[in-house]
Amino acid sequence: MRSIRTRREGPSRARRLAPAALAACAAGLLAVPLGCSQALPGPLPSAHGDDAPPRRGGTLHLATFADIRGLDPAGPVDGLNLAVIHLIFAGLVDYDAHANPVPELADHWDIEDGGRTYRFVLRQGVRMQDGSELTAEDVKRSAERALRPSTPDPMASYFQAIVGYDAFAAGKAEHLEGVVVEGRYIVSFYLKEPDATFLYLMAMHTLRPTCKSAGDRYLDTWLPCGAGPFKLEPGGWQRGVSLRLVRHGGYFRPGQPYLDAVEWTYHMGSIAQKLRFESGQLDVARDLSEPDIARYRADPRWNALGLFEADTTVYGESMNTRMPPFDNVEIRRAVAAAIDREHYRLTQPNRISVLNQALPGAIADADPSFPAQRHDYAAALEHMRKAGYPYDPATGKGGWPRPIEYVLYDKGAFVFTAQLLQQDLARIGLRIRLRLVSYPTFITLQERAGAAAMSPGNDQLDYLDPSAVFEPLFTTASISPEGTQNTAFYSNPRLDDLVARAHREMNPAARKALYREADAIVCDEAPWAFTFGYHFFDVHQPYVHGLGANPTGVFDTSGVWLDRAGDALDRVLDGGLR
Amino acid sequence: MADPRAVARFVKNRSAVAGAAIVAALLAFAVLGPLLAHHGPLESDFVHGVSPDGLPVGPSAEFPLGADRIFRDVFARLAFAGRLSLLIAVAATAIASAIGGTVGIVAGYYEGVRVRVPWPALVGAAGAVAAASLGHAGAGLLVLAVGAGASLARRMAGPHVDVDGLLMRLVDVLLAFPFLLLVMAIGAALERTTAVTIFVTLGVTGWPGIARVLRAKTLQVRAQEYVVASRALGQSALRVMVKHVLPNVAGPFVVTATVQVAQMIVADSILSYLGVGISPPTPTWGRMLFEGQDYYQAAPWLVLAPGVAILLAVWGFNMLGEGLRDAFDPHEA
Repeated sequence: MRSIRTRREGPSRARRLAPAALAACAAGLLAVPLGCSQALPGPLPSAHGDDAPPRRGGTLHLATFADIRGLDPAGPVDGLNLAVIHLIFAGLVDYDAHANPVPELADHWDIEDGGRTYRFVLRQGVRMQDGSELTAEDVKRSAERALRPSTPDPMASYFQAIVGYDAFAAGKAEHLEGVVVEGRYIVSFYLKEPDATFLYLMAMHTLRPTCKSAGDRYLDTWLPCGAGPFKLEPGGWQRGVSLRLVRHGGYFRPGQPYLDAVEWTYHMGSIAQKLRFESGQLDVARDLSEPDIARYRADPRWNALGLFEADTTVYGESMNTRMPPFDNVEIRRAVAAAIDREHYRLTQPNRISVLNQALPGAIADADPSFPAQRHDYAAALEHMRKAGYPYDPATGKGGWPRPIEYVLYDKGAFVFTAQLLQQDLARIGLRIRLRLVSYPTFITLQERAGAAAMSPGNDQLDYLDPSAVFEPLFTTASISPEGTQNTAFYSNPRLDDLVARAHREMNPAARKALYREADAIVCDEAPWAFTFGYHFFDVHQPYVHGLGANPTGVFDTSGVWLDRAGDALDRVLDGGLR
Repeated sequence: MADPRAVARFVKNRSAVAGAAIVAALLAFAVLGPLLAHHGPLESDFVHGVSPDGLPVGPSAEFPLGADRIFRDVFARLAFAGRLSLLIAVAATAIASAIGGTVGIVAGYYEGVRVRVPWPALVGAAGAVAAASLGHAGAGLLVLAVGAGASLARRMAGPHVDVDGLLMRLVDVLLAFPFLLLVMAIGAALERTTAVTIFVTLGVTGWPGIARVLRAKTLQVRAQEYVVASRALGQSALRVMVKHVLPNVAGPFVVTATVQVAQMIVADSILSYLGVGISPPTPTWGRMLFEGQDYYQAAPWLVLAPGVAILLAVWGFNMLGEGLRDAFDPHEA
C-alpha cells in the first residue's frame, strides 16, 4: 500500500538532502580536475640497469583509440593495423635504423640488368607460424595472392613494374610471369623497367610471405599466419575489443622475440590510456592528449622515456576532384590559400608541425624558393573570383551557393582542425558542413568514388621516398572505385608521367628533380590542401626496453623486452588488479 | 486561471521556488548570454585566446569562462548551447506529451471496454507503421490521416478491439527498450542530425512514461460522477475526453512534462557527448563536455562549465516539477 504523507510532515528526506547532494556533486566536479592536477606519478622502475642483457618473458600491454580493420598484409592497412601486421608477417627485406634496406627473410639479393632484375636468395630453415619451411614457392604464391585482381589491395599498383603484371591484374593470366622460382630458396622478380624503389616495396607489408593456409586467393576468414616474431592464435582477436599475439617459437632469429605476448586493447580513449599507464596497467601510452604530452615532456623523470615517432606523415584536406565544387581547380587553389596552417599548429603545438607541400619533414625539399602552398587570403578570394564564385567579405555575399559536406570521424585532431577549416573557408564563401561518422565508415566513404566531397586526408609513408607519397595519393593508377588511396581521385597525365619517370630513374639527383616538379604540380593544382605533419608521441615505463623509433614510422615492438622490478608489480596490483 | 491555493502552496515550498529560480536564471542566461559575450560562439581568437604556454586562456574579463581547445569563448558557447539544449528539451517534451497524453487518456478512458474500430482506421494504422518502418515517415502520416479521416467521416464496420490493452502493450514494448539506446540507434541511423531531428527523435521515443501516468489518472477521473453523467447524456467519447477528462488530468500532465524536460536535457547531452547529436561546430553542452574532457587537468573550465550547466538544469527542472506536483496535488506529496 502506498504511504500518504501530508505537507505538515515537512519535505521528504530525499528532498531535504537534495541541496546537499547538489553541493556534493558540484564539489565532486571541482575536485576531479583540481584533485588530479597534482604532479605526475613517478615511473615504475626497471629491475636492472639499461645495460643489462635482454630478458625473456612477460606481456606487453598496449592500447589504441580505435579498432583495426584487418590483419591481412594484402588487405587495406592504416597506421593502427600496420603495427600488428609487421609483428605477424616478416618480409624478405627490412630497414636498418637509418631506413636503409637490409635483408630479413632474404639472406641476400642481387640487382641485375640495370635495376630490371631483383634476385632474392632466402635464408634456409625459416619456419612459418604453421611449422612449414619458407621456400621460394611461398614467396611467389604470396605475391600472386596479394596482386590478384580479386584482392582488395590498395597497394597493388606499386608493383605494376613486374613483368606480366598487367595481364595478371586484368585476370588474363593465372600466374605472375615476372616472379620466377629459380630454386627452392631463390626467387627472382623481373621488371619491365628499372625501379629504384623496388627494395623499399619489398620491405612493405604487401608481399610479405604468408603460410600455405592462406592459399592463393584472398579470403576474409583466413587466420593470419606468417613468419614474423609473433602469431595470432584462434580467438586471439576480438574485433573492436582486444587482440593478443603470442611468441612464434620457430622465429628465425635465435632467442627472439623476448616477449611471451603482446596485447592491444581497442577503443580506449586518451584519458583511460593515461590513467592505466600511470597505474602500470599499460606499458606504453600512445594517444595522450596535448596537455599530457606537455606534462610528460616537462617532467625530468619522464622526459627521456618519451619518444616522437619519425616525421613520416602527410596531413591535408583532401578534395574530391570529381565532385563539385572541387572539380574546379580554382576552388581547390582557393582552399589551399585560405587555410591558415599556423592555426592548425596552435591546437596541438607539441604534435603538429606546419606542412605546405606534399613531402613530409623527413624528405621534404627545404628550399625556401619552392612554390609551396601558403596562406594568402587575398589570393584565395582571387581564386574564388576566377572560379566564377566571387565572394565579398564585407557583405558576406557570393561564394559557392551550397554547403559542402566534410566527412570525418569523431576522434583525434580532425574534430578540431575541421572546425578551423570551417572558419577559414567561410571567409572565402565556402560553407562546410561536418558529417561525423565512425572510423570504419569514414575510411569506407573516403576511399569510395563519389562518396565524400571533402575529408581529412592523411598518409603515413610506407617508405622514406617521394614515390611513397605521389604514387598512392595522386596518380591515376591508384584510383579505384573502392578502397582507393587517391582519395582526391586526382588524375593528371603530366604528373603520372613525371612520377613514372622518377620511379625508374636510378640517378638520385635526377630523381629528386623529377619529384620536385611533381610536388610543384600537386601544390599548384591542390587535390589536397596540405596542412600539417603529425608527430606521434609514445611514452613508456623504464622497464620497457628495446622500443626505438622506427624509421618508417611504424610502431615497432618486435625487439621489446620487459624487466619489471618487484615493486613495480606491486604497484600494478595496487592500481587495480588486487 | 490558477487555483490560488495551489499558487500559495507553490510559493511556500522553498525547493520549488529554488527550482523555478534556477530555471528562470538558465532561461535568462540562454537568452541574454550570447548578447553579452565578447565573441561569437563559433569564432576562434588566436590573439587573446591563447596562453603563453599554448593552452587556451582561463577565465578573464574577455573570456568570462575561459577559452576552449580552438580558442573560442566558452561563455558564448555555453549560452548558445543553453538555448539549443533548452529548446530541444522543451520541444521534445511537447511532442512526447502530445503523444503520451493522447495515448494515456484514450487508453484510460477505454479501459475494460472493447471498442469497434472502423476498418479504414486499422488499415490506415497498419499502412502508417509499414511506411514508417520503410523510412517514409511522411507517407506513413498521410496514410494514417486518410484512415482517421475516413473513420471520422462516417460510421463504418470493423472489429472490436481492446484499445487499452493494445496501447499499453505498445507502451510495454517501448519501455522494454532502453530509452537512450533506442535514441542513439535512431541518431546513428540518421545521416545528418539537426536540432529538429534530435527533438523529434527524443519526442517520439520519450512518451511511454507520460502515457502510463495519464492513463492512471484518467482511470480515476473516468469514475467521477460528472463523467458518468456526461456519457449517460450521450456526449461523444471525444467530447468527454476533451471537455471533462483533460482538464482534470492537467495537473499531473504539467508535472510529468516538467520533469520530462530534465530527462530530455540529459538525453540530448548524452547524444551530443557520444557524437550522435548535432554536429560541430554548433555548441551543445554534451559536445562541449566531450571536447573538453582531454583537458580536464590543464583547462578544467572546459568540463566544469558544461557539467555544472547540465547539473543545474536537471536539478532545477526536477525541483520545479516536484514543486508543481505538491502544489497541484498535496496528497500525492
